Amino acid sequence: MSTEAPATSDADLFSDEVLLDPYPTYEALSETAGVVHLPANDVYALTRYDVIRDALADTETFSSSSIGFNPMVNEALQGTSLASDPPVHTQLRATLSANLTPRALRGLKGQIEEKADTLVAELVETGSFEAIDQLGRVFPIQVVADLIGFQDDVRATMLRWGQAAMEVIGPLNQRTVENFPIAGELYGWCSQVTAEDLAPGSVGRGIFDAEARGDIPAGAAGHIIHQYLGAGVDTTVAAIGNIVALFAAHPDQLALVRKDHALVGSAFNEVLRYWAPVHAWGRRVTRDVEVDGTLVPAGSQVAILFGAGNRDPRHYDAADEFLVERNPVDHLSFGYGPHGCAGQGLARLEAHAIITSLAKRVDRLVVGEATRVPSNITRSIDALPVLEVVPA
Amino acid sequence: MSTLTIALDRPRCEGHGLCEEEAPQLMHLDDEGDLVLDTAEVTDGSPEAAAASAAVRVCPVAALRLA
Repeated sequence: MSTEAPATSDADLFSDEVLLDPYPTYEALSETAGVVHLPANDVYALTRYDVIRDALADTETFSSSSIGFNPMVNEALQGTSLASDPPVHTQLRATLSANLTPRALRGLKGQIEEKADTLVAELVETGSFEAIDQLGRVFPIQVVADLIGFQDDVRATMLRWGQAAMEVIGPLNQRTVENFPIAGELYGWCSQVTAEDLAPGSVGRGIFDAEARGDIPAGAAGHIIHQYLGAGVDTTVAAIGNIVALFAAHPDQLALVRKDHALVGSAFNEVLRYWAPVHAWGRRVTRDVEVDGTLVPAGSQVAILFGAGNRDPRHYDAADEFLVERNPVDHLSFGYGPHGCAGQGLARLEAHAIITSLAKRVDRLVVGEATRVPSNITRSIDALPVLEVVPA
Repeated sequence: MSTLTIALDRPRCEGHGLCEEEAPQLMHLDDEGDLVLDTAEVTDGSPEAAAASAAVRVCPVAALRLA
């Protein structure tokens, strides 16, 4: 089989217009080819479900050492599981995951559910609320801060640090430049954090215990704490905002979940498929490789477009419809393979708890206009007024 | 009819349990949250093979293989 010259597009993945609503661009790119060269970003974009999934599974050819779109962030992330490959990745990932697996989190399930239900009950009682500031941003910070053992001074900065950690993964644009100092604060704090900074008995304290035992390389504990903060907050805030927005826009779908709570897991999978919280992750191609009939040369930077793959009509029927009964367990929003999102177990617990509470307590949500702010990596709603809650 | 073997990469498995949902007749999470393969071999083309294939597909960290 001969490989064709790559299809090309003048799309800029990181323009304000695309970041605010990438789906028209995703559709155009996906219609063009499974791999499209984008000179504006100097990347090969992977745009179709099968192409993306295969790339995620092949860590030898698609290396995470270039997960970011600028060299500084990739250098800063060396030593973390985000930007390493097997076999180094395997040990770092095992330590990161040990405390985030569903088995490790089982003891927290009740607490997380209680926290979610208390919060949702208060907001429903109030009758109107700000979905992002009062729910989306509050809940994951409570959960992650308690889990890791952060004290009050760090809790106050978690949101800003989490946002910056994602922004700086973008290309060297103004957003990235503005956020480097904030991401630098996070990095600096994590570089000097000690066991005593984290609550006894917490997962974070447990990471330092692992380092002391020699289970992970010396100095790795701070990197792992950095990842909990950098990767565990912003995307979950986004996902919770998306849950509220999508249920408000599709009251018939909320009604289905209200009637049958067994649909909670399926509903969350569909939220993630329909609106991917992550716009793009980078990969470095380690050898000349044919992808979907196109030659991608060794050394190329690839952009994995999760949202495009999740809306691929070659893989999902009626891909642009939001249907909570679909249960797309194979959505791409958590990645796939060795680098599948380490925090996905926690994210599921949090989102399932919120959806369960909404389904139990809310018949309908009336919302005002959502505000979005362009962000390099995390696609989320910045403000969403819930004008009226019609209680169940 | 050939036999297919379900293989688990145990170090990679994180106990997400999506596989159990797809193939409860073949595997389950034990009380510790570890995956137990109740059946390790399936006949190619059988309904069990289809269930095993679905379980392999949904593992978010690709810890299962069928060969």
